[in-house]
Parts: sequence; structure tokens; C-alpha cells
Amino acid sequence: MSSDSKTTGVKRRDFLKVIGAGTAVAASIGCTSEKVEKLIPYLVSPDETVPGVSTYYASTCRDCSASCGIIAETRDGRVIKLEGNPLHPLNRGALCARGQASLQGLYNPDRYRGPMVRRGGKLVHTTWDEALKVFGQKLAENRANAQNAVFINRHESGNFPSFLNTWLAGMGMPTALSIDPDADYAAIAANKQAYGVAWPKLEFGAAKLIVSFGADFLDGWGSSVSQQLDFADARARIETAPRLIYIGPRRSLTGLNADQWINARSGSELAIVHMLGGGGTVSPEQAAQESGVDVAILTALKAEFDAAKPSMVLAGGNTPRGMELCLAAFNVNSGTGAVGTTITSTGAVNGFEGIDSPAQLRVVAQNMQAGKVPLLMVRNVNPAYGMMKSSGFANAMAKVAFKVSFSSIPDETTAMADLVLPDNHFLESWGDAEPVRGTLSLQQPAMDPVFDTRATADVLIAVARAAGQGTFAAGSNDYRNVMVSRYPGGAAALADALPRGIASGTTTALAPRAAPAPVAAEGAAPGSYALIVYPHPVIGMGAGANKPWLQELPDPVTKIAWQTVAEMHPTTATKLGVQNGDHVLVQTSAGKLSLPTYVYIGIRPDTIAVAAGRGHADAAGRYARSGSNAFDLLPYAEDRSGAIMLSAGAQVTKDGGSTRLATTEGSARQHGRGIGQAVTVAELLAGKTGEGVTEHVSEGEVELPGDASHAFLPGLRSPTANDAQGELGGPPLKSKEKGMYSPDHWSGMAKRRWAMTVDLARCTGCSACVTACYAENNIPTVGADWQGAKVLPDRTGFGANITRSREMAWLRLERYYEGGEDGGADFNTRFVPMMCQHCGNAPCEPVCPVYATYHSPDGLNVQVYNRCVGTRYCSNNCPYKVRYFNWFGYGEPNRSQYAFPEPLNWQLNPDVTVRGKGVMEKCSFCVQRIRETENRAALEHRGVEPDEFTTACAEACPSRAITFGNAADEKWTVAGMVNDRRAYHVFEELNTYTAVVYLKKVIHPAGGQA
Amino acid sequence: MKTKRKWLAVPGFLALAAAAAMLSAYAGASSSEGNAPAQPVAFPHSLHAGGNMKINCVYCHFSATKSPDPGLPAVGTCMGCHTVVATDRPEVKKLAAFWNKKEPVPWVRIHKLPEYVHFPHMRHVNAGVACQTCHGDIQNMKQVYQQNSLNMGWCINCHVGRSNPPLKARYDCAVCHY
Repeated sequence: MSSDSKTTGVKRRDFLKVIGAGTAVAASIGCTSEKVEKLIPYLVSPDETVPGVSTYYASTCRDCSASCGIIAETRDGRVIKLEGNPLHPLNRGALCARGQASLQGLYNPDRYRGPMVRRGGKLVHTTWDEALKVFGQKLAENRANAQNAVFINRHESGNFPSFLNTWLAGMGMPTALSIDPDADYAAIAANKQAYGVAWPKLEFGAAKLIVSFGADFLDGWGSSVSQQLDFADARARIETAPRLIYIGPRRSLTGLNADQWINARSGSELAIVHMLGGGGTVSPEQAAQESGVDVAILTALKAEFDAAKPSMVLAGGNTPRGMELCLAAFNVNSGTGAVGTTITSTGAVNGFEGIDSPAQLRVVAQNMQAGKVPLLMVRNVNPAYGMMKSSGFANAMAKVAFKVSFSSIPDETTAMADLVLPDNHFLESWGDAEPVRGTLSLQQPAMDPVFDTRATADVLIAVARAAGQGTFAAGSNDYRNVMVSRYPGGAAALADALPRGIASGTTTALAPRAAPAPVAAEGAAPGSYALIVYPHPVIGMGAGANKPWLQELPDPVTKIAWQTVAEMHPTTATKLGVQNGDHVLVQTSAGKLSLPTYVYIGIRPDTIAVAAGRGHADAAGRYARSGSNAFDLLPYAEDRSGAIMLSAGAQVTKDGGSTRLATTEGSARQHGRGIGQAVTVAELLAGKTGEGVTEHVSEGEVELPGDASHAFLPGLRSPTANDAQGELGGPPLKSKEKGMYSPDHWSGMAKRRWAMTVDLARCTGCSACVTACYAENNIPTVGADWQGAKVLPDRTGFGANITRSREMAWLRLERYYEGGEDGGADFNTRFVPMMCQHCGNAPCEPVCPVYATYHSPDGLNVQVYNRCVGTRYCSNNCPYKVRYFNWFGYGEPNRSQYAFPEPLNWQLNPDVTVRGKGVMEKCSFCVQRIRETENRAALEHRGVEPDEFTTACAEACPSRAITFGNAADEKWTVAGMVNDRRAYHVFEELNTYTAVVYLKKVIHPAGGQA
Repeated sequence: MKTKRKWLAVPGFLALAAAAAMLSAYAGASSSEGNAPAQPVAFPHSLHAGGNMKINCVYCHFSATKSPDPGLPAVGTCMGCHTVVATDRPEVKKLAAFWNKKEPVPWVRIHKLPEYVHFPHMRHVNAGVACQTCHGDIQNMKQVYQQNSLNMGWCINCHVGRSNPPLKARYDCAVCHY
């Protein structure tokens, strides 16, 4: 971490304003193919950066309300990668997929280039002077009616909300609505009432049994990174790990991580909570009657729950009657003594405090409809999409005389605005957040604004000063000064704290408005199926849809990218006569959608599930158009808290047509191959290793001496193929012939063995590693509808390339089901992050005709792009299928398939080659990080320290499942982990001697812990 | 007629292939060796790095010892001297014009490795490889040109210890190509 500039009069922003040293292609000379490039120097060298060496700025991620700490890596004035801030109390160095992808919000090609004003019915570019003048005029015009103006702000903690309310008060306007469309408002309202805090700390480690009623704490419910860290830590304790039971009609990612799934009918959760206690008087028989679950399962649940102390009951508010359910869960928790032990208000997530009820938006819509709202201001919220059509918000908004948007990325709401004053991205602006009460997470610009945008706070100050408003007199001419003035200790203390990114301190708590009386909800329209709309694990309620990394990331559960599907149980699909991809017509009282079928065993036969977040209007940018908008199916209804209900009754019929699913899944079953292996706790305690490969050498096949299926080979084998083949290899080479492969070689490379362990007991399948890998390794996204050839009618549109298996993810998350084939409800899931295994005896290497892939002495399976001629033999011969071929010129700007339209290409990692067409690529174990560390060590005249660096996937992982390092040196953590009792190699019977070692998942069966 | 054509086509194709092979091998088709483009300001390295001044290379190329990137002097660095030194010379006037317009000088790049090659300057400089080893007799060049081919074989020659004096370095592909 390098320091921010000491505030010596020069703003850091100013000295980043010098022109970055870069190269620009100008023209070609002569007959050589080389282009004339220009070397553009700085005008004045910035004194804290070294060209070619990264500078790091600590800041705060604002893509969800939790406000995790980030470290922004910048190179020559551009942010190229985000990592978690290890000092931050919530994310402790990890970062989720959404946080990683916030870079694509910064460099989004659809961002507004500058202020826009509506002229002749269209938004046209204007200057800031002009835009501010128009804004000032409108504020003055509406001065008399100012108390009816509405400002809708994206909910955030920190100093900005109170600053904004001061400004609004000065303008005679009511306080801003603080809205977070992704937050589970019913749970927050219930938490506030029950625990006294908006989001209590969940001490997974203190619990023996966790029962979740649709509380998807690994899917982005609440502060998902901190919850995932705590959950993974608790589960990694193996013998004393808590057992997780998930109850609900659909298995979410959290549900797939559960040891047991009880498939209760949608809306029946309350009966089961009442059965568990909390003064409820529901018997298991009654609960079974209501939930459609076998009474024996519920009786066993009750017995197990009564015996397990301490326990934890969590409830999600997105279930019907969410707030009642959450309050009932609290009653159970206070009955068992869980409140204060497993669920505590100390260390609570502060980011959700002060949030306003979504029902406030409905009230705004009613007022707008009645013509009472003269002026609407919106900042980073998209109610025209998030408030479903049936709420009438968008239609009502059209009646507002003047609409101002501060959002910098176009969306449905901004498209209706009369004036757009684009805000800076959070990586371009000053600010702070309060993630935990008493701790500030500081936000500083890591780079100059990409476009002609301005921080909203600065715009508000400018307008207020122009209007002669005294609150913003001299000394607070920009928001940074406001921040300094509010910071204890002032400028010097702030400059001191910025490199750490966190500081102690507190901000004014927001006072949310009293929630309006909810509109009649209950009694969902009858239908033969229960429709559940759930927030997409990474796209959320729609905010992530304009980021190609998040669109391309296969949903951790369904493995579907770019598309919106209707999930249904196999028996439902049989009944409707549809298969994967066949369209079904889902109809509710609000509307209908024709969606491709996705057959999922983790859903009740009477339930249909659709992910929210996709299917935006064209105005929301080129990527957000993909898929369908599930909100179109929801009749507007609120629960008791004012949260919008995400379920309804639906009719489902077979529809014409079929779409090939953009899935990265080959098979959902392992077919005995032992890819994701598991062991039960009891077996581990008995000293057994659990399951392995179930297919045995059949009759007539030769059993190879040293075959790994005979005896598990702990740790890692020698890197040379010759050694790995044992007596089947050629005669042993002499030291001289081995060259750098000899341990005696002066370079010492053969004394290293880069290796990785993946602990499946920790891995939750969240896929943050996948997005981190995209960011680090310049991996192109291929699923946009203009990136594929339009040949087959069922293979066009978004995801077409993925239907052809052309996705480029070097690291993919495989998801396999065990059990449940017989139609039984419960099954077990294995998540396996699968990347190049860097085999010691790699099948890809001998088949390459041009020596483009080979084994390095330090244990890497290397792909040399400039040697590769694209025969794809290596991919054919790879048993792990982790090699990816560039079918098109995804890295070439002049091609339509270009994956990094300006300015997305600003994010590209300069240390990694952007691959051209016809080249094979794959996981490199982040070789650029290995070289960078070696170079740094050499500069400091030392060797590489144990655990000095790690790969991008391991660094981001919010479950700490991935460990990377030098397995040949016992001082590295990984060297110990490869010999863990749970260690295994995938396909070890193939004698590939992989450098990636998996640690078996641990299963906690009911009653198996004693 | 048809058979005749076929017989002509085979040796013709072979000749073409041979010519292509010769060209790529000997004509330096993949190298810009000898390239000496005109620069927007005719900066004489011979005067600054050689001659009487003998300014240390890293005075201007300031990050060559600490970064993969050698560092290109900012216009401000040039103006550090040239606000007072030799302000009457036509080329210095050109430089001052850039400075006054607050525009960087668009130097034409000469030494360029392909994007798939990673060349860490600091590792070489700190290992005692002189700048001249790769960049040639730069202190005597009035106009800079590319003296060496900078092709892979040329690099490897040193890495395997055939330079004079012999220097050794790793020559594994993934040391430079990733």
C-alpha cells in the first residue's frame, strides 16, 4: 500500500492529471508489418509513481450497502484491479464478484461522457456550466413548491447522506429517500424491531446448528463477504463445524451449501418456525400439512433443533410474509438463547442502518401520478426498472415536470430524465462509509475521472453557492474539504489514515422515515404454481446487468450466463412436456413471459423460480439488454414492513420455440469420476479418507505400476515428466541433460514447485474467484449478442458463443449433484473450482507440435502464446478441459467480437498479454505475479518470502478456500496443506501428478456428530 | 495441359516457400534493426550521454533501475536545464514550444519488443548489463537507431552465457513470455 499524497496544497487528483506515458499507433512504415508507435512522455513527472510499477490506493467499495474496503491497484494513472483491504473489519482482504466487477462500472462503455440535457425530446450533450445553470434555474423556479420535491438516493452510510440532507434543507426540500433495491428490507425492518440493529452479526462459529429459512447469506443477502468468511471459518473447523439446514421451496447457493434441504412449500416457512418454538403451538403434523414436507423429516428437525445448543435460526424477508417470518425466527432465537451468542448486535453491519422502506417509492409514485411532484432527483437508483411495471412508477414519473438524474450509467430512470448530471464513480471520488459502528471506511479517488463527470457532492455545493446559500460558504468549496472539516483531527489526520483506508470515527446516523402503511398484499393471486423471483446472486436486482463480467459469470446455482430461465423440477418439466431450453409461458395477474426451461432438482415441483435483474430496456446499455425482466411477472404487493413481495401465483404452460441454454455445465453428475470428493465427519474421525473414484480398472486393462488409485500419493511429485512416469519413463537423464530441470542447476528454478490447494470444505461456490481471474488475466467475455456468428437460429442472441462452449473462463466453478436421482428431494452438492492443474506429467505437453506448451522447471505448465499455432491438440488431450481457444479476435479492437470496447480496455492488466485470434490459453497460476514478486525480491537482494504473494483467485476468495505457493518449501502454507488428510488429486488415476490438490468436502449428516 | 500445369505448380510453390524462408531468416523481416526514424525534436544522445557531458543514463531514464519500464524523461526534465541552457538553438526552441503549449513531445518509438515479451529493465541493469549491450553505442549516436535485432535468438545468446563477458540468466520460456 502506498500512501496518498500528504495534503500540501496540491490535490492528488491534480498531479494525476498529467498525461500518462503511453503509446499510440500512428501509421505504418515501409513494408514491414510493424507500426510506428509514439512514446508520449509526461509533461511533469508525478513524484509518487514509477512507470511500470503499480501504485495502490485504499478506498471503499460502494456497489452494495455493506461498504467493504478495497485496495485499488493503479498503473500509470489507471485502476486495473481491485483487491480487498485486509484491515477492513468486514471483508478482511476478500472481495466478491460484484466488488471485482465494479471496475466495469468505472470503465463502462455506456457511461455518460458528460452532462446531458433534454432538448426536443432527446437527451443531448451539454456543458457543465450550461447544465448547472439549468439545474439552478429549476431549483429557483420550484422554490415555492420545494417541499414537494423528491430526491431518491442510493442508500449509503457515511457523511454523504447527512451532507445531502443539509443541502436539501437549505433548498427547502424534504430529506432524501435512502433506497437500496438489493437489500432485504423485510429482514432489516424485523431486525431493527427485534435486535435493535439493521443487520446483526451472525456468529456462525458459535453455532452448532444453523437453520435458514430462505436466508441466503452466501448469495448477497446482507454483508455477504463477511458472512461468507465467518461461515467458511466455522465450517473449516470440521469436527465442531455447525450443520446447516436450509428450508424453502428452492435451493439457492446457500441452500446448496446446506447439509440438508427441507423443501417446504413457498409461504409455509412460518408454520415450521412456529413448530421449532418461540411460543409457537404448531405441531409437526400441522407443519407437515402446511409445508408439504414429510412429517418424519419435521419431527427429526424438531428433535435435532431441540438438542443442538447453541443454534441459529435465520429467515429471509424475500419469502411471503417475510417480516412475520423474521420476527418469528427472532422469537425462536431468543427462546433458545441464540440472541447474544450466535446472533449479536455487537459488530453489526452498519451499512443498512437508516434505509428507507421501498414502499416510500410507491408513495412517491402515487404523488407523481397525482401531479404533486414538481421536481424529481435520482442518484444511482433505478426505480423505473426496480419498481415493477405493475407499480406504475415509470408511468407516474413521466408526469413530473422536471427530472434530474445524477447516475453516471444510463438506465431506464435516467432515460426519462430531463437533465443528467453524471456522478463520478466511487473510484474517482471522495467519500466515506461506516461499515461497522465506530469505524470509518475512507474513500479516495484512485484515478482521474474517465469522462467529463463530476462528483454529485461537488455539483450540489456549486449550485448552492451560486444560489447564495450560506451553508456552503468559503472553506467548503468542494466535498473533500467538507470531509476534512468533519474528520476528527482534520486534514493531517485524514492524510495519515488514508493509506490504511479505515479509521475510527462515526457519522450522523440517518433517520429513516416512518414506513407508510403497506398496500393490501396477502392472498397472492391463485395459480397452479408458486412463482418465486429471487435476486440474482451477482447481478442482484438489476444493478449488475451492465457489467459483462457479471453477465458472463455463470450463475453459481444454475450455471446459466446471460439468459433468464424458468427453473422447474424434473417432474414439472415432464408434466408440461418440456425439456431444457423449451419455452414455457409463465403467466401471472401482472403479465406473462415466455422463458426457456431450466430443469433443476433443487426446486419443489409446485414452484417456478426466475432470477431478477436482467432484461433491461435498450436505454440501459448494450449488456443489460440480455435476458428477460422477471419483474414483469410480479403484481405489485408489499409485505407488512413495506418490502416488495417477490412471489406470486402463476400459470405455466408449454410455449412454442426453444432456446439453447447458455450454460457452462457439461453434466450435473460426476459419473463416478471423483472430481468433487467428500468425506463424512464420522469417517474423518475414524481416520478414513472417504470416497474416491468409484470406477475401477476393468478386466483386461493393465494396471500401471505406481498407479495412483492403489495408493494415494501425498503431496506433489517431481516436476519433470520423466520422473513422474517412474519406471515407464525413459532412462533417467543425466544432470546435464536435464538442464534447468536439475535441482543442481544454478538458476534454482527446479527447487520451486508452484502449487495450489483448494479446500472444498470451505468453498461455497460463490464464484468470486472466477471474476477475479477475468480481471487479473485479461480474459475476454464472449457472450454479447454481437460477438458470435449468427448461423443457427437457436444460437443467436446473448450467450450464443457460450452455447458453443466458447467461454474463456480460465477458472470455472463446477457444480455436481450427488444423490437425488430417484426423485428424492434431498441431495448433496459439490463445488469444484477447476483451473489448469499444472500437471507434473501433463497430457497436453507431448501433443503440441510446436512446443507451445511445456513444463517449466518451477512446476508451471506454460502456454507460450507466440508459439501457439492453434491446432487445439492440447485441449483435446486435456482430461480437465481447462484450455480455452480464441475462436475470434476478442482482443483485437478492429473486430466486431472485440471484448473490451473503449474504455473497458483501460482495465487490461499490462503485465498479461492480450491473446489474439487462433491462440490457446489457460490458467497460468498468475505467472505475472510470480515474476513480479521475483523481480521485487531481486531488487531488494533477497529471496521470495514464504506466502509473500498469491494468485488473484486466492486473494479474492471470500471463503479462503484457495491457497497458493511453493510446495517445495515447507515454510509456505501450501506445503503443509498438500499433505492434509483430506487431500486428493482430481483424476489421479491418470497419473497426471497435478499441482492442484483438492481437500475433500466434509459432509455433516443428521445425527452424525453426536 | 492440365498435367503440365501441375508440374509447374509444385516447384513454383517450393520456390516461393524457400524464398519466404530466406526472407524471414536473413532479411530481418521480423526485426526493426537499423531503424532510425526522424524525431520531432532532434535530440542528440551523442551530446548528452556522450561528449563532454556524459550525463548518466538514469538521470533521464529514471526508472530503469527499479521498474520494468525504463522511464521516459518528462518534458519538465528537459526544461530543467533548457530554460537557461542553449535556449537559442533551433531544436531547443522546438522543445520549448512543446513545453509552452503544455504538450508532450511525441517521440517515435524505436526499441520495441512485441506485447507477448516482458522485458524487466531493472533486472538487467541491476545485473550489470550495460545499456549499450542492447541499445548499442548510444552515447555516440547523433540520431538514435536500433543497432541490434532484439530478436529472441539475440536475447537467448546472453541468457545461455555466450556473451562476452559471459552472463547467465534463466532462459525458460515463461521467464519472458506470459
